[in-house]
Amino acid sequence: MSALGVLCRKELHATFTSPIAYAVAAVFLLVTGYTFSLTLFFTKVANLTYIFHQMYVLLILLIPVLTMRAFAEERRADTLELLLTAPVQEVWIVLAKFLAALFLVACLLAASGAYAVVLGLYGEPDWAPIYGGYLALFLLACLLVSIGTLASSLTENQVVAATCSLGACLMLWFADSAAYMVPAPLDAVVINLSLIGHFSTFVSGSLFLSDAGYYLTLSLLALFLTTRVVTDR
Amino acid sequence: MRPPTQPGRIDGPIVAIEGVSKLFGGVAAVRDVTLHVARGEVLGVLGPNGSGKTTLLRMLTGFLSPTSGRLSVAGYDTERQRMEARRHIGYVPESLPLYSHMRVREFLTFMARLRGLDPRAAEAAVAEVAAQVALGARLAAPIRTLSRGYRQRVAIAQALVHEPDVLVLDEPTNGLDPRQIIETRHFIRGLAGRRTVIMSSHILGEVEKVADRVAILLEGRLLSVEAMADTPDLEALFLSLT
Repeated sequence: MSALGVLCRKELHATFTSPIAYAVAAVFLLVTGYTFSLTLFFTKVANLTYIFHQMYVLLILLIPVLTMRAFAEERRADTLELLLTAPVQEVWIVLAKFLAALFLVACLLAASGAYAVVLGLYGEPDWAPIYGGYLALFLLACLLVSIGTLASSLTENQVVAATCSLGACLMLWFADSAAYMVPAPLDAVVINLSLIGHFSTFVSGSLFLSDAGYYLTLSLLALFLTTRVVTDR
Repeated sequence: MRPPTQPGRIDGPIVAIEGVSKLFGGVAAVRDVTLHVARGEVLGVLGPNGSGKTTLLRMLTGFLSPTSGRLSVAGYDTERQRMEARRHIGYVPESLPLYSHMRVREFLTFMARLRGLDPRAAEAAVAEVAAQVALGARLAAPIRTLSRGYRQRVAIAQALVHEPDVLVLDEPTNGLDPRQIIETRHFIRGLAGRRTVIMSSHILGEVEKVADRVAILLEGRLLSVEAMADTPDLEALFLSLT
């Protein structure tokens, strides 16, 4: 675990010394802050459902940008050779990159918690959908970061990594639409692959283990595949 | 300073390469190479570009897995006991990969910690290795500001920071100016006896001046292994073999 700590520190340092992190944070907070203010002024309703759906879209668009460097940059600069010849398990290298990116996204979500505080101070919001929404966004971030890390491990070109990651996330988002073209009982499987289907139940305040299981299972699968890609030399 | 790894496990060669081949797709980069290196020896791996030198070194460091055969370092199999084997190796790749966003001290400390040294031991090891490669004045410098010569010193320092038994150098004098080349040669010769050094090169004179023995590779095959003391004319030997 000591190696994981050392690697996490290095990844966090790399994340927070890169302008990409600040650009992503600025766009995320600016857009959500703008929408929050507008929605609050126009509707005068103390809920964050609209904001959560907007954050869902923003995370799908921004996380591939955040994760594209993870392995692609190490491959381009040949520094992966240093990591992979050190006495460190490959899984720690993958986990460190995953956790560093997830930490940044968690910071963004925590910063956006200011909107909930504002609602709590000046209104009487229903807290269940708010807690559910933040849990859903965190689980969604786990999945998107793990997919982005996997895409980054497959190439040394950051743009290719970001594009593949974005494509995979969009395919998962629209998976339920494709279900209409698939015969039963496969359609149920395809519907259950949909990102938005598992997200909406959380935001409505309903917590199902199956929804959490979906995000966690796919995240672990993507991390496992990333480790396989990194190990296979 | 080094993490405990059952010292004294071997009496024979510190590096053993037994019938190793590596295929990329259907193409053989290294074919059935068998080679032993003794403790404290400096071995030069000589061959033209594309002869399999880097692939062989990468298999030794554990970066690549052999398609067949086995390699061991300090008695540890590089595949089945790869963590233990890696603790005994320091590696300087040809491209001198370094984290440009870090400062020299920070990078060396990171590499020392990654090799299992605790924070206090890492700090002492960094100071020691920086003095060894004459990096002391540049420890606070950002790596991105360093010249090629200093980048090479940092790369060598990171490979030595955990006091490995075996130092693997891939084309260590590439891109250096004449003075730096001479300094690097002296430095490698200075390590002889204390550490085993395996360095690749495609320059005859380089190997001639530094190595105790030379292994000549061509198209992935090991053509010959000769002691430099018994090889008065390396150029003639190389031409006769290739």
